[in-house]
Amino acid sequence: MEPILKTENLWKIYRTGKVDVPALRGINVEIFPGEFVSVMGPSGCGKSTFLHVIGGLARATKGQVLLDGNDLTGMSDAARTLLRRHKVGFVFQKFNLLPTLDAYHNIAIAQHIHGNGFDPHRFDAVTKLLGLADRLAHKPSELSGGEQQRVALARAIISEPKIVLADEPTGNLDTRTSDTVLGLLRQLNKDFGQTIVMITHNPEAATYGNRVLHMRDGMVVDGPAVH
Amino acid sequence: MIGHLIVRNTMQRPVRTAVTVLAVAVEVMLVIIVVGLTSGLMYESAKRTEGVGADIMVQPPSASIFMAFSGAPMPISIGAKLEQLDYVHAVAPVLVQFNSVNGLDIVYGIQPDSFRAVSGGFVVREGTDVLGENDILVDDVYARAKKIKVGQKLHILEHDFHVAGIVEHGKGARLFVLMSTLQEMSGARDKASIFFIKCDRSDHTAAAVDEVHSLLPGYEVRPLKDFLSLMTSSSLPALGAFINVMIAIAVGIGFLVIFLSMYTTIIERTREIGVLKALGASKIYIVEIILSETTLLCLGGVACGIGLSFLVRVICLRVFPSLTILITPKWMLLSTLIAIVGGLLGAAYPAWLASRKDPVEALAYE
Repeated sequence: MEPILKTENLWKIYRTGKVDVPALRGINVEIFPGEFVSVMGPSGCGKSTFLHVIGGLARATKGQVLLDGNDLTGMSDAARTLLRRHKVGFVFQKFNLLPTLDAYHNIAIAQHIHGNGFDPHRFDAVTKLLGLADRLAHKPSELSGGEQQRVALARAIISEPKIVLADEPTGNLDTRTSDTVLGLLRQLNKDFGQTIVMITHNPEAATYGNRVLHMRDGMVVDGPAVH
Repeated sequence: MIGHLIVRNTMQRPVRTAVTVLAVAVEVMLVIIVVGLTSGLMYESAKRTEGVGADIMVQPPSASIFMAFSGAPMPISIGAKLEQLDYVHAVAPVLVQFNSVNGLDIVYGIQPDSFRAVSGGFVVREGTDVLGENDILVDDVYARAKKIKVGQKLHILEHDFHVAGIVEHGKGARLFVLMSTLQEMSGARDKASIFFIKCDRSDHTAAAVDEVHSLLPGYEVRPLKDFLSLMTSSSLPALGAFINVMIAIAVGIGFLVIFLSMYTTIIERTREIGVLKALGASKIYIVEIILSETTLLCLGGVACGIGLSFLVRVICLRVFPSLTILITPKWMLLSTLIAIVGGLLGAAYPAWLASRKDPVEALAYE
């Protein structure tokens, strides 16, 4: 089986003034279709940078990122944008919903950007699965944190991405709501085979995945084994 | 989808949206009113000159079609020569003076008999059209605007006139006095500014023009049926430039307000732009959102601006009834284009800035 995501000697170095600060130091990872991988590590270890680079939001300084066979490292901004549009779904800690739009349009805009038009069957299936059918007319400010994250999750998967990248999806939620969101992620993974990479601080949250990668100082310190 | 997003975005900050729309409205109103006022004044002046009823107007060499800007350098004796021409039925010399007291008005000094022969005479609303040495006739528009009654005194051109009558508007000027009186007052004895000529038949106008040209080489001889088309901003030096400057100021206002509004908008929506980029929105998609929102604001401003223009016209005409403000579909359309183009130019840099935002930095924006 070919990995959906593969990194080889992945480096990301930020330049602050005249000082180079390496955020990722030669990461080698393979993630296979249908995996739910949790990435754990202390603050500042490079987890979010890793997520941004493998999702095509940031460019790697050195090394290679292969996403569904596409090498992101040599890609232009426009090509990476196109790749994100068709292959990646993001879920953020702060939900990042568009505040002026209701839940319905927050989800539909992802389909619009995707460019394949509005698919009502997919829309209904996703919103029912995430229990949002009766909350669609509400704006983010009228939704609870858990509901907002479910809308963000729906937005991430509505266009059937190859991989969902979740950056601390439960970081702003209470324990009970966190369990609900994590349960939904696991359900998406088990029932629909959705590949998920989730960053978390929380060891309990990490157990929802079927593999855990530990990061420290910009490196993966264990868990690189092939599934 | 974009339509829904931009409508929602404009409603997010109602005060900013209202101020932006108002600024564009002022821009549009300024263009429409400035052009409407200048073209209205010229149009109204031309219509009144046409309304004299003459077929030809003769002025000294190089005279402006704006009669108030010409002096009185023609000997009145020319009139007698003009009357001798084959196709000329009647000639009315007129001395023109510009009155700037209590407004801007043209005063005609006329010889009642010759003026009646050319124009067919005044339609008297009140009083009489018989002029004495210190009498003045005012038209109904001027009388209404200045609340003038027959019999009262009217102080213009440093002289107290007695209002002898109120006549229907449309006979060249709004104020009429005896030519001899005006000649005395202005030191232009035996001089006239214009000769109005009535031809024996209107289809002899061209032939009469040729005759006058032969008699008075170099003089300005204009058929009055063409007069309206001559009264454009290009006929008056600096008027075109004045209008252009006013339009430039208006566009500048719109440009700066839209620039500021959209600049603050994209700063405020940095995180949202990052979200859209994370979802795979292209630079063109981001630019399209910003420019669509700008267009919506401009269209709102245009609609308000056109409405505001009509309101300002109503108010102006109530305060200054003798004014004419022409609001034409052509200038409504042009002001719309000016506002939209100015707005899009103002939004171009913020849109470009938004499209170039780094998604990671944008998502981290607080």
